Amino acid sequence: MKLTGFAENLHELSLLKENGTEEVILGMRAFSRFGRLDENTFFPMVKRARELGLRIIFEWDILMTEESFKKTVADISPFLDVADAVRVQDPGAYHWAIQQTKKPLQFVAENGNHNIEALLGWCHAGAGRIERIILSIELSRDSILDYCQKLPVPAELLGLGRILLFYSPRSLLSPLNPERETVNEDIHALGESEESPHKGFPVLENRHGTFMFHIKEFCLLDYASDLKSLGLSFLRIDQRFNERNFFPEAAKTANREKMFESFREEYPQELMRGFYHVNKSDVLFPKLKNMRLQNRSGDYLGEVLEAEKGSHLAILVKNLRGIRVGDKFRIVHPKGALFEGEIHSLKDVNMTEQTFIPHDDLAIIPFINGVWVKSQVFLSTTNE
Amino acid sequence: MKTTLPEVLAPAGSLEKLKVAVLYGANAVYAGGQKFGLRTAADNFTLDELREGMDFAHARGSKVYVVLNSFLHDKDLAELPDFVRFLEEIGADAVIVSDLGVVRTVRALSKIPVHVSTQASTLNVEAAKFWKSMGATRIVLGREVSIKDAGIIRREADIEIEMFIHGSMCMAYSGNCVISNFTQGRDSNRGGCAHSCRFEYTLEDLATKEKKSAFFMSSKDLQGLRLLKDFIDAGIDSLKIEGRMKSHLYAGTMSKVYSEALRYYEEHGDFLSDDLLNWEKELSKVSHRSYTEASLENPAGAESIFNERENNSAAEWKMVGTVLKSSPESGIVIEVRNAFNQGDELEILPFRGSPVTVVAHEIMDLTRKTILRTKPTTIVRLPYHAGINSSQLVRQKSV
Repeated sequence: MKLTGFAENLHELSLLKENGTEEVILGMRAFSRFGRLDENTFFPMVKRARELGLRIIFEWDILMTEESFKKTVADISPFLDVADAVRVQDPGAYHWAIQQTKKPLQFVAENGNHNIEALLGWCHAGAGRIERIILSIELSRDSILDYCQKLPVPAELLGLGRILLFYSPRSLLSPLNPERETVNEDIHALGESEESPHKGFPVLENRHGTFMFHIKEFCLLDYASDLKSLGLSFLRIDQRFNERNFFPEAAKTANREKMFESFREEYPQELMRGFYHVNKSDVLFPKLKNMRLQNRSGDYLGEVLEAEKGSHLAILVKNLRGIRVGDKFRIVHPKGALFEGEIHSLKDVNMTEQTFIPHDDLAIIPFINGVWVKSQVFLSTTNE
Repeated sequence: MKTTLPEVLAPAGSLEKLKVAVLYGANAVYAGGQKFGLRTAADNFTLDELREGMDFAHARGSKVYVVLNSFLHDKDLAELPDFVRFLEEIGADAVIVSDLGVVRTVRALSKIPVHVSTQASTLNVEAAKFWKSMGATRIVLGREVSIKDAGIIRREADIEIEMFIHGSMCMAYSGNCVISNFTQGRDSNRGGCAHSCRFEYTLEDLATKEKKSAFFMSSKDLQGLRLLKDFIDAGIDSLKIEGRMKSHLYAGTMSKVYSEALRYYEEHGDFLSDDLLNWEKELSKVSHRSYTEASLENPAGAESIFNERENNSAAEWKMVGTVLKSSPESGIVIEVRNAFNQGDELEILPFRGSPVTVVAHEIMDLTRKTILRTKPTTIVRLPYHAGINSSQLVRQKSV
């Protein structure tokens, strides 16, 4: 397993080289969400990277509406031409790069793509040009193992860096400071949500929109050897937001030349491993559902819309077969109590006695003590 | 040359809402089963209900698209084939998908048309071409795309285009927000969104150290009524209304307004009608945040931020019930959701045409005993009024 990372100046290129990496990811302001290189600084970086023998990965990870896309592809060629590979996330960039360039592609599958079928799809659609898949940090260890075994190309995962929570194309910080004069200046803020006990979400507004990050950084450096054993090919160290670049310390930690505990104490941000052990982000879903509403198949006859004590129950018939005199039923109260009975008397909405009430009509039956509105009526046995 | 009008595609959070949307004019509805969608807390449909909803819509010339737009994990995907086969058997008109693995699975198992969800944030011609090459027949564009750009995508990628015209909006690129995942352990892209963007945040500018509180991530609601002509001119195939979690009144009103507006255009070739103001009034009668045209013309700016607390949203009218039956014998039988009094002025929304004002001079309960005030979760009768039909919605101006 190899380490990879970003460089925004010549010193950081040297740091990468000195710590054993064979490549560098270069991000430019115009094409990368968080890149800060411009055309004046990009080419010297390329030159120096070449001198150091580093492979150049050009990061083009912004999402683009059509107008923005056309402008971007009109400007991108000089920079793309000098890169060894291009890293994309927008499916449009992916498709364009396959059709219009000869560069190897690295596809950022960090957003969704939590199944092997999707990942294989991106590889296969790439017509042999996909050289790497960047996996989501929401994947569990088991999934990473599975994917590394099944993918036809090497996989990469974030080993240390910010967790991007939110990416909007809209400028959301500058409206708070309309007096700001500088256009396109990056704005950095810390956010504190009224809903969350967490404080200090980093928020960034730049020319590509607004981004919010988790208060903690993602870190799997203590699992580096485990990831290697799973078959992961690249571990990415992202230090673009720290004042001091901790790449050397991170590399030593990943290589077990430095104790993780020591690294964690030294590192300026709190760290978390996300869903590495297990992803149970759907475990709360049953609690979000109204379970009473989940039992409406098969023998479900309808719902009690009115319960007039001492008089009647009005049931809206929702079963296509309707309700008949002689049907044996069970009624489930919203709180779970069960009532059983048989239909001896059945009236329609005009309170006229009937032997059958069809689907979508009101069926009026005598009141049953304890049954209340929203109780559900099920067929026990039929009179057919 | 006759202009092809876009379809009105309405949300169906439940079987009842599906029926409401279809009866009020939606050309198509989108609905979710118990799994694979993004509205975990919605009623959603059982298999029986999906079948019934499909039959109900098809009998009235409307289509039903079924959402499979979760970012499915492997274990979810393993459960998908049986559901896809079922959908094909009951005649689903399309599935709405956001994940390439799901596209490939559906394509391998069935001939059901695949619509790529807005969750996939398809924003440009090349992305549309990619999805088309994967077998998609329609793209639901990201809400960041302008109508003008959508027309270009339609032409250059040669694929059906669906755009949102109304409803709540994610501030983030759809599918690009995982706040709930990492702060609440609920996968927002599998139906667990906790709507963290709707809360107030205190923001400290790191340059000035100034602190301000704002609902800075909350978006106003989309409303594109006045841009209908632009949608038509751009050749957009489908106009989508967001809101499977919203009320029956919402589903009915939206379906009615947008389908009536398009019918007017079909007859007159323009929208130069006094009805435009009436349609806008109708849209303001359902609960909503302040409206914006967002990025339909130009990229959404500061004016698109809904910097208010959620419960400040406007609701000029409330739904008081649904007509269960209407005949000279039964009178107008209403399932009451919100109480009203004898003498109150109510409006009943016909499936077509202007609302019918009914004064509740006489209210009777189901046993025909006169009452002065209704109660929620009861059934009452009003005197018969010609032209009122079952499933029509009854509303009242909020005090």
